[in-house]
Amino acid sequence: MDSGYYAAFSGLLARTQALDVVANNLANVNTTGYKSQHEFYDALTASQDNASLSPINQAANRFGVLGGNFVDVHAGPFEPTGNSLDLSIQNAGFFAVQTKSGVRYTRNGSFQLNGARQLITKEGDPVLGIGGPAMATDAPITVPPGELSVSADGTLSVAGALAGQLRIVEFIQGEQLAPEGNSYFLAPAGSVHPSLNPEVKQGSLEGSNMNPVAGTVALIAIQRSAQMMERALSIFNNDFNRTAAEQVARD
Amino acid sequence: MFRALYTAASGMNAQQMNLDNIANNLANSSTAGFRRRRLQFQDLMYQNLITPGAAATQQTTLPAGLQIGLGTRAAATEVVQAQGDFSSTGNPLDLAIRGQGFFQVTTPNGEIAYTRSGTFHLDSQGSMVTADGDALQPSISIPANALSVSIGTDGTVSVTQQGQQQSQIVGTIQLALFPNPGGLNSIGGNLFLATSASGDPTVGTPGSAEGLGTIQQGMLEGSNVSVVEEFVNMILAQRAYEANSRVIRAADEMMQQLNGLAT
Repeated sequence: MDSGYYAAFSGLLARTQALDVVANNLANVNTTGYKSQHEFYDALTASQDNASLSPINQAANRFGVLGGNFVDVHAGPFEPTGNSLDLSIQNAGFFAVQTKSGVRYTRNGSFQLNGARQLITKEGDPVLGIGGPAMATDAPITVPPGELSVSADGTLSVAGALAGQLRIVEFIQGEQLAPEGNSYFLAPAGSVHPSLNPEVKQGSLEGSNMNPVAGTVALIAIQRSAQMMERALSIFNNDFNRTAAEQVARD
Repeated sequence: MFRALYTAASGMNAQQMNLDNIANNLANSSTAGFRRRRLQFQDLMYQNLITPGAAATQQTTLPAGLQIGLGTRAAATEVVQAQGDFSSTGNPLDLAIRGQGFFQVTTPNGEIAYTRSGTFHLDSQGSMVTADGDALQPSISIPANALSVSIGTDGTVSVTQQGQQQSQIVGTIQLALFPNPGGLNSIGGNLFLATSASGDPTVGTPGSAEGLGTIQQGMLEGSNVSVVEEFVNMILAQRAYEANSRVIRAADEMMQQLNGLAT
């Protein structure tokens, strides 16, 4: 059968996956600390580099498939809440959280205290503070009773007495974070380093960085290109193949 | 494509809950001592089609994975502790707290509840009670023959009685301060209960600890709901709901066209 039939099919499949990505972005337009994801397309075969193929063969084999998606880490809008345990990072850093399955990173600074007065996330996982010079010794932060104030560098103090310092990290430029849900991200090993000049703000939260306009435009683009793929499939199916099967055989 | 349908449905559900919360905030925009609530969302788990950092070849790894999120869910309603507007009422038993503290009252089943609403009244025994009849804790009784009641910024309640020159101290109001007031459990009637999330309160006389606050007699704290902000949030919720319904329509149309192919 025609190679284009499969090209249109794989293109259509990629568009349906892209629709899933856009659907998730739009579902999370109000999620605190959410980072939108953007999909990108890849050619199935690197046929351009394959000199043994004829130009027509190269062109016919350049199927578009969904290559993957990347996390857009730019900041969302900051919303003042007035709660002393709501923290946001105004620049590029992430909070470090000790989960059951290892250290995860988040921009969602909506924290609370547990029974032992440890600073925890909404999931109940302790937020890590700087425990020593090496990042391996980071420990949860215990907050003594009283009015908590958090300075820009992430230092927590209660009534003037030091209570700990938040571990704020950044990642090597271009490293990809893997979202895990609950606003947590997993970073590849070795890409994490302490933030040099964090800018923590108390009493505000970072909203989702998903722009509904961009999401709707992406949605329309996906819908239209899916229509094109379907049109192409229908041409191959009805016009070419049916003609071949019904008309040519009759003549 | 079925994923997109369910993902968008989770978004629509979340926005519906968001609207419910906005409706409650707006309905309480004139409730004295009401604290607005903020609904928080979290993203659901991700389906890994290509794991990021997977090996592309023996030497190289893939720069990015293909992970598809499965939507959102409402995670928490947080009580926003910003101060409401103060208004002067002139009623000697109307009290406002300038600070983060809470009044303590005893509910009918003996539990201690916390409130910011300072509209107090006297019951038949002369005890200070809330509009619902819950007694202030520690209880303060005003003698029946008192001519005037004055309550100091530090919570000292004193009365002037007939035929007496000097005023008499009849009690001291105490306030409670929570490490995380956002984690208090709202039980309605302007009352909150302590939870493990809010932490145990520090109780003290007004002004004795930082953040506890001082008492203003003859003033009331209004609701901290900003109607403008709620309207903006309502528009956002409505549009986000629409955007999610658009996704459902798009997914539906794509499937419909696919079905059309097979004819």
